[in-house]
Amino acid sequence: MRLLLLLCLSLRVFAQTSSIGAFTSFTDVGDPPVKGSAEFDPATGQYRITGSGTDIWGKADQFRFVWREISGNFAVTATARFLTEGNDHRKAAIMLRQSTDTDSPYCDLVIHGNGMPGVQFRNNKGENTNTVDFPIEAPGAFKLKLVRQGATITVFAAKGDAPLRELGHTSFQSSGPLLVGLAVASHTQSASNTVLFSDVSIEQLAAPAAKKQ
Amino acid sequence: MTMRNFLLTYLLAAAAFAQTENLGLFTNSGDVGNPARKGSTAFDAATGQYRITGSGANIWAKEDQFQYVWKEMSGNFIVTATLEFLGQGADHRKAGIMLRQSLDPDSAYGDIVIHGNGMPGIQWRSNRGEITNAFDLPFDGPGKYKLKLVRNGVGLSIALAKNGAPLKDAARTEVTLRNPILVGLVVCSHDGGASDTVVFSDVAVEALPAPAGKKQ
Repeated sequence: MRLLLLLCLSLRVFAQTSSIGAFTSFTDVGDPPVKGSAEFDPATGQYRITGSGTDIWGKADQFRFVWREISGNFAVTATARFLTEGNDHRKAAIMLRQSTDTDSPYCDLVIHGNGMPGVQFRNNKGENTNTVDFPIEAPGAFKLKLVRQGATITVFAAKGDAPLRELGHTSFQSSGPLLVGLAVASHTQSASNTVLFSDVSIEQLAAPAAKKQ
Repeated sequence: MTMRNFLLTYLLAAAAFAQTENLGLFTNSGDVGNPARKGSTAFDAATGQYRITGSGANIWAKEDQFQYVWKEMSGNFIVTATLEFLGQGADHRKAGIMLRQSLDPDSAYGDIVIHGNGMPGIQWRSNRGEITNAFDLPFDGPGKYKLKLVRNGVGLSIALAKNGAPLKDAARTEVTLRNPILVGLVVCSHDGGASDTVVFSDVAVEALPAPAGKKQ
């Protein structure tokens, strides 16, 4: 009987790490006290991701991460819409990350709860987050696109039905396979924040690009 | 020290000091990072224009080489300047407004630059000796750019306008620099074997009173 229980538990654990849409895994990075969740609806292709956590910021992060491994060059697009009220700086993001360590190097394109797009990156494990924020467009559904070509990360955003507009590009050095995925943080340990991601796609790109200087 | 060497040293020191004569809003000019080709700065009091010539490999990675015209400042402030490259050069030659911790080539800094090809960029080195971080903005070719940089605590906000258009907020980043800092104009040729000349006009430096809350 005990064996059956153990078997059921391990099956349940296994189910949590089995595929979720375009991704293979999900987890809370940084062990936030309020646990997150992630659901994928195959009928609509939508991801409903709930995350808590102090922030994706400073030297260590707390957030919900839905991810898969990836190498080479690629483009990720997703439309993010906050379903819950909360902190102005709660975050929904497309994230590239070296590992699920709380202080891992990462680079993301984020939309804040108040409608402010931003690009953030931590160059080396345990270092401070670097940030670039863009003018606030007020809350809404934002289409986000992040393109990785070698060390160059180019980001695009659009609010509502507006056409995607390039925000610019930065450099992010990384080695080996990366984790690519969707991230949600509530910007407070005592709350959760739910975000609906739709029209999510990951497209592998062929050509390497020249190095930016 | 012989008398001759003493005299030579004295004259050299006097020459270096003479560089600080009339630089308008700024107090000093010089090359950071000791580029092989020396730079120069000329201020025209009648027009308020700065004609700055700079060489240097780049403002990038862990060390910089460029011509700098600066003054010391503390607190929050706004710097505006309109700049135009004279002549041709490397696509990534740079001119802009820089906040810098020191004159060391690997000093912490934050800047807004226009590249020779017209691409605006924000750059920052968070700590001495670290790699430069950069974010480049979309662009549609060279032109005459008005730049505005606002320092508000650790926040650096930039606004841009090309060829007489109204200033538009572009982006904001964060760099921790300890007061006092150096504030000024930069020119770099992105080629140790070349120099670039840039004319800066309508340059203003305005101190701001209130410190603001920390961004999170």
